[in-house]
Amino acid sequence: MSHPSQENAINAGSLTRILIYTLLIFFVIYYLLPLWVMVSNSLKTLDEIRGGDMLAPPKAITLEPWRQAWSQTQIGVEATGLKPYFINSIIMVVPAVFLSTFLGALNGYVMTKWEFPGVNLIFGLMLLACFIPFQIVLIPMARILGMLGLAGTLGGLILVHTVYGLGFTTLFFRNYYAAFPTELVRAAQIDGATFFQVFWRILIPSSGPIIVVTIIWQFTNVWNDFLFGASFSGYDSTPITVALNNLVNSSTGVKEYNVHFAGAILAALPTLIVYIVSGRYFVRGLMAGAVKG
Amino acid sequence: MASLTIDKLTKSFGSVEVLKGIDLEIEDGGFLVLVGPSGCGKSTLLNCIAGLEKTTSGEIRIGDRNVEGLHPSKRDIAMVFQSYALYPNMTVRGNISFGMEIRGIDKDEQQKAIDEVADMLQINELLDRKPSQLSGGQRQRVAMGRALVRHPQVFLFDEPLSNLDAKLRVDMRTEIKRLHSRMGTTIVYVTHDQIEALTLATKIAVLQDGYLQQAGSPDEIYNNPVNIFVADFMGSPSMNLIDSTLVERDGQLEIQIAGHGGSSISLPAPDTPDMRAHLNGPVVFGIRPEAMTDPDGADRTSPHIETRDCFIEVSQPAGSDTFALTPLGGKECIARFRADAKIELGAFTPISFNMTKAVFFDPQTTNRIR
Repeated sequence: MSHPSQENAINAGSLTRILIYTLLIFFVIYYLLPLWVMVSNSLKTLDEIRGGDMLAPPKAITLEPWRQAWSQTQIGVEATGLKPYFINSIIMVVPAVFLSTFLGALNGYVMTKWEFPGVNLIFGLMLLACFIPFQIVLIPMARILGMLGLAGTLGGLILVHTVYGLGFTTLFFRNYYAAFPTELVRAAQIDGATFFQVFWRILIPSSGPIIVVTIIWQFTNVWNDFLFGASFSGYDSTPITVALNNLVNSSTGVKEYNVHFAGAILAALPTLIVYIVSGRYFVRGLMAGAVKG
Repeated sequence: MASLTIDKLTKSFGSVEVLKGIDLEIEDGGFLVLVGPSGCGKSTLLNCIAGLEKTTSGEIRIGDRNVEGLHPSKRDIAMVFQSYALYPNMTVRGNISFGMEIRGIDKDEQQKAIDEVADMLQINELLDRKPSQLSGGQRQRVAMGRALVRHPQVFLFDEPLSNLDAKLRVDMRTEIKRLHSRMGTTIVYVTHDQIEALTLATKIAVLQDGYLQQAGSPDEIYNNPVNIFVADFMGSPSMNLIDSTLVERDGQLEIQIAGHGGSSISLPAPDTPDMRAHLNGPVVFGIRPEAMTDPDGADRTSPHIETRDCFIEVSQPAGSDTFALTPLGGKECIARFRADAKIELGAFTPISFNMTKAVFFDPQTTNRIR
């Protein structure tokens, strides 16, 4: 009954196995159901949605809702679709992710390899940044953005997300570099490498997994952020999350559910792609920080 | 090439003083081994020399130059680390040339230097591999290559052989010794392995608890230890340190040692004013296992051999020798017999003590009595 299959697996009887698979399949369906509802309904006509079953597949597939959501539907006062906001989000996310990742790496490097008095206190304070709720910083942040003349601009949003992401990125890189052998840094110092040469030539090339983790984390957070977007964006710097809200919550006209579904998928697509492409690095990267060697 | 002088060096981490005033010197072309148990401060001392740790007070001079405050790369040193510290993202070639690249040496010259070092260490065929594709011994060679290519004034080795298996360690030890005699560069070498210290060094410095216990040639350290710590630390098996009582009989000083059961033996002791100061008191009699042998194996050139009957409890054949354990002064003492010496267990057997090798210590201060 129990013959070894995999070295690390616990041997289980066939009845247990059936039970496990049944449970797993149930949860797979449970988790995939919302995605199915969104995809299938975004391909239906509005009449079909009104008349029928949410869970049923579309009778005749139409791409019209997608076209509408992307470039034609009314958002706020203009009928531009989500396209310009999607572009806004890209313009905001890319620099914010790279800046916060780079600065986090630099922080982690300094905090582990160039220890200075009070380093643990500073790290503790930066950790605190991970736990401060967004709402608390809204008003001071608005004041600072006003003073810098960045209020209502994409530059302002990039700054906000970079600063807010630093706590997490520093945490990631610090923990990763803490396990990085200090002797390598010392060897490079004896070789005459400067502070930044050590960083670029020795540390960064060995940081692949943690860079991927940080980028996924930051990309998802910044892309999905709504509160900062709603608070600090202006007329032409609105990110897609806010635009999606404006689309779905518009109080005039007919509620075009199929367009809403398509728009919601459009807004979620980049994070979905990032996860699918690099999700396995995410898990691997998290492990790499935890297990030495 | 240059000499190295360390003058009243102290180093503290916060309130913990790790080095407590080290005075040490090694001449140009010498091989200085820093040896001591874990936590004695030997690696810290090496890092201070390298400039990787800031000293608290005192001075380090390489040649005539005070290197205080100089960046590690400006001290004209090269270091081989315990973990080899090879850059994992670079090939062997990249590892060796990294320092030259940083210093802006031109490509042709780099290539020449790499070839030269690769020939010397026989790592030509490894140049395009990554460190992860190398065995322990190969990594060790590459780490040395990276140091050699700098042609420094002083080489620093931080326990370079401790990650290798026993056989390879012996090979690499020979290799390092050969490299040293070929290049004649001053070397400072940290190890906790006293055999490495004895085989490699021209000068050994024994450290304990941040103090320099003794510095001297391997022969001095081995045969003339200044205190019980040095005597006990150097040598394997370590020196027998036997509790005894110093008495005078017929105008001669001698030590009395409790043996098996109620028996005891007495051995003559040198008559010096210092020894006389301990008359009728306890002294620690120190004698190396190889100075306690079967009578046939005793050193015939020694002018002073004393043979006594001792009770043998255990014998341990070790191939080239046989170690015999005998209780003396309340402890098991090790005598080193010839491999084919007849040893009868549980009986009294004559043992020859080479008294020219005997040393005496004060049990209170642990210092040598001369």
